[in-house]
Amino acid sequence: MRRALVLLVSLLSITIFPALAADPPAQPRVTGLWLITEYPSTVAKPGETTTVKLKLQNAGLAPEALALSVANVPQGWKVDILGGGQVVGAAMPAINESVTLNLRLELPANTAPGTYPVTVNAKGATNNAELKLAITVGGDVAAKLSMKTRLPALRGTPKSSFEYTFTVSNDSGKDLVVRFAADGPRGFQPTFTEAFGSNEINQIPIEAGQTKDIKVRVGLPRDVAAGDYTVKVRATAENVTAETPVTLQIVGTPTLRVSGRDGRLSGAAEAGTASPVIMIVSNEGSAVAEDIELTGTMPSGWTVEFEPKLIDKLPPGEKKEVTAQIKPTAKALAGDYIATLRAAAKAGDSASADFRVAVTTSTLWGIVGIGVIAVALLVLVGAVARFGRR
Amino acid sequence: MSDDLVIEAKGLTRRYGRGPTLAVDHIDLAIKKGEIFGLLGPNGAGKTTTILMVLGLTESTEGTVSVLGHDPLREPLQVKRRVGYLPDSVGFYDNLSARENLIFTARLAGIDKAEAGKRIEESMARVRLTDVLDNRVATYSRGMRQRLGLAEILMKRAEIAILDEPTSGLDPHATFEFLEMIRGLKADGVAVLVSSHALEQVQSVCDRVALFNKGKIALQGTVEELGEQVLGLRHDLLVEADGQDIAARLGKIEGVSAVEPPGSGRGLLVRADRDVTAEVVAAATRDGGRLRQIRAIEPSLQAIYNRYFEGVKDAA
Amino acid sequence: MRREGSPFTGTGAVFAKEYADHLGSARMRVIEALVVIVGVVVVWVAMRDLKDKVTQDQFIFLRLFTYAPESNPVNFAGLLTFLIPLVAIGLGFDAINGEFNRRTMSRVLSQPIYRDALLIGKFLAGLATLATGLIALWLLVMGGGLIVLGVPPSGEEVARGLAFLVIATAYGGVWLAIAMLCSIIFRSAATSALTALGIWLFFSFLWPVIAPAIFDGILPLIAPQRVLAGSATADDVAGLLDVQQLIMRFSPTVVFQEAWLGVFSPDQFTEQQIMRIRLDPRLGHRVIPGSPLSFGQSLLMVWPQFTFMVAGAIVIFTLGYVSFQRQEVRA
Ligand SMILES: Nc1ncnc2c1ncn2[C@@H]1O[C@H](COP(=O)(O)OP(=O)(O)OP(=O)(O)O)[C@@H](O)[C@H]1O
Ligand SMILES: [Mg+2]
Repeated sequence: MRRALVLLVSLLSITIFPALAADPPAQPRVTGLWLITEYPSTVAKPGETTTVKLKLQNAGLAPEALALSVANVPQGWKVDILGGGQVVGAAMPAINESVTLNLRLELPANTAPGTYPVTVNAKGATNNAELKLAITVGGDVAAKLSMKTRLPALRGTPKSSFEYTFTVSNDSGKDLVVRFAADGPRGFQPTFTEAFGSNEINQIPIEAGQTKDIKVRVGLPRDVAAGDYTVKVRATAENVTAETPVTLQIVGTPTLRVSGRDGRLSGAAEAGTASPVIMIVSNEGSAVAEDIELTGTMPSGWTVEFEPKLIDKLPPGEKKEVTAQIKPTAKALAGDYIATLRAAAKAGDSASADFRVAVTTSTLWGIVGIGVIAVALLVLVGAVARFGRR
Repeated sequence: MSDDLVIEAKGLTRRYGRGPTLAVDHIDLAIKKGEIFGLLGPNGAGKTTTILMVLGLTESTEGTVSVLGHDPLREPLQVKRRVGYLPDSVGFYDNLSARENLIFTARLAGIDKAEAGKRIEESMARVRLTDVLDNRVATYSRGMRQRLGLAEILMKRAEIAILDEPTSGLDPHATFEFLEMIRGLKADGVAVLVSSHALEQVQSVCDRVALFNKGKIALQGTVEELGEQVLGLRHDLLVEADGQDIAARLGKIEGVSAVEPPGSGRGLLVRADRDVTAEVVAAATRDGGRLRQIRAIEPSLQAIYNRYFEGVKDAA
Repeated sequence: MRREGSPFTGTGAVFAKEYADHLGSARMRVIEALVVIVGVVVVWVAMRDLKDKVTQDQFIFLRLFTYAPESNPVNFAGLLTFLIPLVAIGLGFDAINGEFNRRTMSRVLSQPIYRDALLIGKFLAGLATLATGLIALWLLVMGGGLIVLGVPPSGEEVARGLAFLVIATAYGGVWLAIAMLCSIIFRSAATSALTALGIWLFFSFLWPVIAPAIFDGILPLIAPQRVLAGSATADDVAGLLDVQQLIMRFSPTVVFQEAWLGVFSPDQFTEQQIMRIRLDPRLGHRVIPGSPLSFGQSLLMVWPQFTFMVAGAIVIFTLGYVSFQRQEVRA
């Protein structure tokens, strides 16, 4: 029991001691009553309501009711003092406490530009406080945008992805919703995403003074020719626009494609006999494909020969018919097989297609079968001739 | 070949296997139109084989046959169309009725349907089977089957009927009826070739007979001719008379070789080498004797047969 | 020796009578009962097991013929492999000796026809009876399948079914020819039936056992040296396998099984082919599985089997024909 008491005391001393040991910070001992605001000079728009945040501070005075009033209110303005969300007439801050108030100014639409002094008073029996405000009525607040990119020019093939990252800054004093667009040659497709996101966007809010990183991907038309292209990327908010041109330097490449005639990727071949399968090699790229080699991956034991064996040159947008002589093994079972035919340009691109080759059995056996029946019938006829008609 | 010969065989021979014995050994046959010809002989003598060769169902080893002017081997259809055959113990499709059996035969023979129907009725009436025409053949007795076989030949309007032992296994009345029907065939102008063991019956219907022995035709001709050949020319009489010592009296007549009791019945059998009818009448009626019956005895086929094969055995 | 007239005179009459006899006979009643039982069982089993696969399977109607429940692995076509010879033997074992035993032969042959007509007429009548039974059974299964499965068969399925009918009839023809040969050789119907059944038993049950033994026996004679040395190439194995299969094919049963498998299983390799692929995997390389063969290809595949059966039936028939022509007709 005693031990427990000692423990409790020691615990208490640990907790309480620092509190006792720390002196309250030395504060200047000022006493008085003040009406204060953080921004004594503000801007208001005609026809709009502006609110000024006020604070009634009591330092070291006995609390008393203080009547609130506004003086020097220009003609036609509607002025209210709000406290706790309601219109109040007086406030009473406790000792060393403050009361938060709002001055609501409702300006008529025809208010002339200029600076209007407005005075707010708090009057008590013993103490008074006064605050002088300057309300400036002027034109609109201008929005202001800017954008810049570190890599405004990219180089690539028609298959590469052209991606530009922009930093868009809202330089104005207010939040803006920024819309994006891009102008480019026909068929160029811009897509906007956040720099580190994948969601496509076409507008984004930016708070006053903030910046955002935006990514633009420019999709290219399939048949784009080699060359330099400029795309103007634009950010728009309210009535301001920021614009940066980006450059796409497209270098040409061949793009091969292998297909069947009329899109048919099938053929038939008899076991042990070469049968032609027509294969079409086309260059859908933007540069000439040179020295296209033709190869095939066949079921084992099969052979394939191409006619021609090699395509020297295939300009972009052109196609060439190649005959592949496919010869299944003599032992191949009837059924459908996959034969992959491939075209590979010397430098770069290659393409392949899977052809379905239906192996048919040789009709030779059908003829042999008929022969067998014929022989059997001949034997019968012979027997009839020799022994028949009794 | 003369016109009225329907079957003519020359040197017809059939050998089975490689042995020296021939089932049919160089036989000559000539059967005239409208004749009933009998084939006689012991079992295995070659009668059926001869018939099969005539029909073209068996090939001859040697010799030729001509049936109605056709070779049965070269033109079998011509021959079979005009020849009717009743095999030894004929069979029918038991599950079919007589009519259905005959319709099948008619179709095989190429007789058209309406005509066949008419002919079936007719021929079945002739063999007196009209009542059982639509009964299944399974219900037929042996005699009825034989008659059905005959009806088939009638229906075919065959020009030659070949009957292999048609009366074997028939009761006396059925035999009699059947023989009547064979005579009916003859009346229609059909040549009939019949093989049989029933000598009496053969004798009663056949115009001519051929006696087979071991594949050869031993004897051929009418029964009288055969009798002369085998038994010699005989003038035997059967005499039935009342009086004393009739037998002795008859025995004294010149030319009478023997007087003996006959095998059956009453009277006396007088064997003579010449015609002694007048002397016998005179002798029997002498001294108040009364002649009740006197009859010339034809040579019986039975006797010829027996005598012949006895002779063959003796010779062997 | 040249003889006048057509050998076929009277064939029609013989055919008509024999066909009518067969159809009206007690034997046919038994066959009909078998047909109905088999048909109903097949459809019933299919109803039980195949009904919910209708939409998944392109060849659902063909499955009616090849489907075998696990509990009782006998399918319709397999059943027919055994039923058809039995029926054919039943129809043919007393074709010729029956005529002798009824003593109708010489009476019939004394009509203006050749023996050819009798033999051919009887053979064709037996074949027609068999075909009639098969068609009835086929219609029963197809009709039942239609009711139970609720979808119509495709044109190709019908064509394949008809091809099967033709093949099955050819198979029946082989056994009918064997049965008739026995009926020509043996005068006793019982001996004939027993011999024919013996041949059937031999080829259906014993041959599949004997054939591999024969193959093993001749292997040292036909195999290349390297095979015996234990280093066979895939080609060697495939070649030897063909030889073994060739020996197997002396049995009509084996041939028929190959044929119906080929017709009814367009979308799968036949067992034999699967075995070949297993032994020589190169053959199965880059195969697109489950791609059905066209009808024409299936026919080509089973054509050798079909011709074998047709030619076999003709040859056996010829044997019977020759021995019948040499026989003496005395009854
Ligand atoms: N297929 C055959 N093979 C060998 N010999 C045969 C054959 N058919 C018949 N024979 C012989 O030919 C001979 C003549 O037989 P066939 O049937 O013609 O006699 P058959 O006179 O008709 O006798 P049956 O009065 O008993 O009918 C007989 O000795 C017989 O043994
Ligand atoms: Mg006889």
